[in-house]
Amino acid sequence: MAQHDIEITISKTGEVRVHVKGAKGKNCMEYAKWLTQVIGKVKDQKLTSEYYEPEEKNRIDLKQELRADD
Amino acid sequence: MGVVIVLTPVVIGSWPVIAAAVTAAAAGLGLNVSEKVKEALQEEQQTNEQQVEVQLEDSQVLADSVASGKELVLTKDNITLKVTRDARGECKICASGQGYTQAELKQIAEQFSQKVSQCFIYNRTITELKRHNFQTVDEDVTEDGTIRVHVRRWED
Repeated sequence: MAQHDIEITISKTGEVRVHVKGAKGKNCMEYAKWLTQVIGKVKDQKLTSEYYEPEEKNRIDLKQELRADD
Repeated sequence: MGVVIVLTPVVIGSWPVIAAAVTAAAAGLGLNVSEKVKEALQEEQQTNEQQVEVQLEDSQVLADSVASGKELVLTKDNITLKVTRDARGECKICASGQGYTQAELKQIAEQFSQKVSQCFIYNRTITELKRHNFQTVDEDVTEDGTIRVHVRRWED
């Protein structure tokens, strides 16, 4: 079992900082893409060393139907 | 470790969803809320009352029957904030009040607009995270009003 953590900071002005931890390789980017769809537009992005580590065998499942009125 | 992204929020939702964020923002800033049908509002503007309008940035209120002709009215002391959907579908905040300058009202409207964005994004993000089986590990609000949420899920 792999532990996937996300830390989200929503500033007073509404700007959002998302830090994905534990998910390696492409899985990490799957979370980033998904949360971008949910929240808004990317202003800045930084890959950390964990991104370059070998990813888990199973790809994460983030299939969803994003509904704007949720 | 992993990836860090910084995002600018886009506020898109139906009137009830926007109204929920407006209500939460109002509660956070100590404003009283009442939802009224615009046509029913026949209050005459005081001649010495200042008025300022600001747009909620990157916002879109989806057209539906509920949104038509409605507005949220928020009050505190001598200030009134009216939240409406304009003809282009954007969310508009109008601040008015006696004894305030245009600059003061603009600042109040912008502060409220930012709070609405924050509440909207919080509601939307938490809903999506829960839908994907994330559990909240920790959550707090810092002194400067920043919301911090830590969520976790386990993958096979």
